[in-house]
Amino acid sequence: MNLKELKELIEMLKNTDISELEIERSGVKVRLRKGGDVTFHPAMPRMEYPPAAIIAPTVSEPERPAVEKPQAPAAAPLNQVKVTSPIVGTFYRSSSPDKPPYVEVGDTVKKGQVLCIIEAMKLMNEIESEAAGKVVQALVENGQPVEYGQPLFTIEPA
Amino acid sequence: MFKKILIANRGEIALRIIRACKEMGIKTVAVHSTADAHSLHVRFADQSVCIGPPKSADSYLHVPSIISAAEITDAEAIHPGYGFLAENASFAEVCNSAGIKFIGPSPESIKLMGDKARARETAKKAGVPILPGSEGVITEEADAVALSRELGFPVIIKAVAGGGGKGMRVVMEESEFASAFVMAQSEALAAFGNADVYVEKYITMPRHIEVQIIADDKGTTVSLGERECSIQRRHQKLIEEAPSVIVDGPLRKQMGDMAVALARSVKYRNAGTIEFLMDENRNFYFMEMNTRIQVEHPVTEMVTGVDLVKEQIRVAAGLPLSFTQDEIKVTGHSIECRVNAEDPEKFTPSPGTITAYNPPGGPGVRVDTAAYTQYVIPPFYDSMIAKLIVYAATREEAILRMNRALDEFIIEGVKTTIPMHKRIIAEPDFQTGNISTKFMERYFSVPK
Repeated sequence: MNLKELKELIEMLKNTDISELEIERSGVKVRLRKGGDVTFHPAMPRMEYPPAAIIAPTVSEPERPAVEKPQAPAAAPLNQVKVTSPIVGTFYRSSSPDKPPYVEVGDTVKKGQVLCIIEAMKLMNEIESEAAGKVVQALVENGQPVEYGQPLFTIEPA
Repeated sequence: MFKKILIANRGEIALRIIRACKEMGIKTVAVHSTADAHSLHVRFADQSVCIGPPKSADSYLHVPSIISAAEITDAEAIHPGYGFLAENASFAEVCNSAGIKFIGPSPESIKLMGDKARARETAKKAGVPILPGSEGVITEEADAVALSRELGFPVIIKAVAGGGGKGMRVVMEESEFASAFVMAQSEALAAFGNADVYVEKYITMPRHIEVQIIADDKGTTVSLGERECSIQRRHQKLIEEAPSVIVDGPLRKQMGDMAVALARSVKYRNAGTIEFLMDENRNFYFMEMNTRIQVEHPVTEMVTGVDLVKEQIRVAAGLPLSFTQDEIKVTGHSIECRVNAEDPEKFTPSPGTITAYNPPGGPGVRVDTAAYTQYVIPPFYDSMIAKLIVYAATREEAILRMNRALDEFIIEGVKTTIPMHKRIIAEPDFQTGNISTKFMERYFSVPK
């Protein structure tokens, strides 16, 4: 897929009601999303936890209020993917305190590979990677509370 | 007393609860959807947790996320506000089993009063008059017709699981009955997954008058006078006032005593409202009990001087009520207008950005809202943007005060129902208090 084709795709997306589009062709995957991945929460009150637990503003909401004007289609997140928390709970990097973390920064992960656990209402929920690639950032400390949509890891797709 | 309370709601009621907590020295946790990240309840709470995407089912109604948010923030109690999970018995149960105090009645009380047919039976047993009608569910059309003949037309068919006017049909004469009965059943099934309906005598010009009660753990139950909520459109209240022009001291005591008797009979705890229909001859009949704090609670606060939300928190913490029945005196007059982001004539919702905002002020004016300049009214939730409440010594003065406060209330960028309220309070029938739930139909019917 060349740049021209990509531009055409973006134009096409602009003129439709589709908010997200994923295309895979000869091993190249492109995902386009309207109005996503823009940080737009400037000064959100933070949760008061120990210093390590700074709650980052929520990012990446595809479902934004319909009344806000759509932003230019963003192709940028292609090179880095933020894995966000799908639930509210407590973040754990390993399955139990005496086990090593599921992943470390620098590890290569497969799509669907377990990255961490979030405990909600006494249930352990395994959070899987949305992309195959290299873990470039681990954004939350072990044992810290996380909210919905909070970024947990950054992955650079392979 | 609790050290920290989580508020499982949004908008003005979340803010109202935060205000009560702050004045009581209690820390607050706001929960919010991604659409509400910029809301005032998020800003003014001590902590906030994003619990899901805009859709209510995945955020404000998502029990696991809310319980989880309470757990990670060490909140000891949850105030549900109104709407969302406020009258969800299983949510109250989950709170209890998670060791979090639900600020409201027991799950059993919520369940009992949520079932209209059982609530009626309970009221009847407690000696509260109910509208003559079928004793519980009626399934056969022939039985329903026979009963309606006995009651005399008009009659009303209502869904057992009903609310918001769904599964409800007024039948003026026998020839219309068969189709209305089937319609009500299928509407009830579609809306609530339960086709059960019952039949009642229908009052042609009813007033909606409700009585506020509150009870503590010792069982002390106090009534706080009535609210007149007859100005409605499609069962949505628009204007509420306290006291009602039609209720005098003896009638207030009679209604209050009955409301208290009903609450006591089911060992009701916390705040609740018993709704009555009243006919032209001041006969009143039990309609239903709402097991939550209500939107219109401020008018009761204004005429009694009681902070209902603080009392809710007190009694949930096991403390006794801070007043006795003898100390409750209704003085002056209060009116509340619900300002919605809606077209004032067509009532179509008008979400969008508030470009200019000026709330009214001055003596006797209270505005409960979460709006501000540049606030984006999301399309996902209800359209109410503010409650404008006035208080004055007399009803006449209260109407004049409301009129000037509506003039001062500037909201630009979206359509609001402010012009509608100006029209309503200018109607001679409103000014003389000659109102019923038919008021809006009479004066504000929109030609189709």
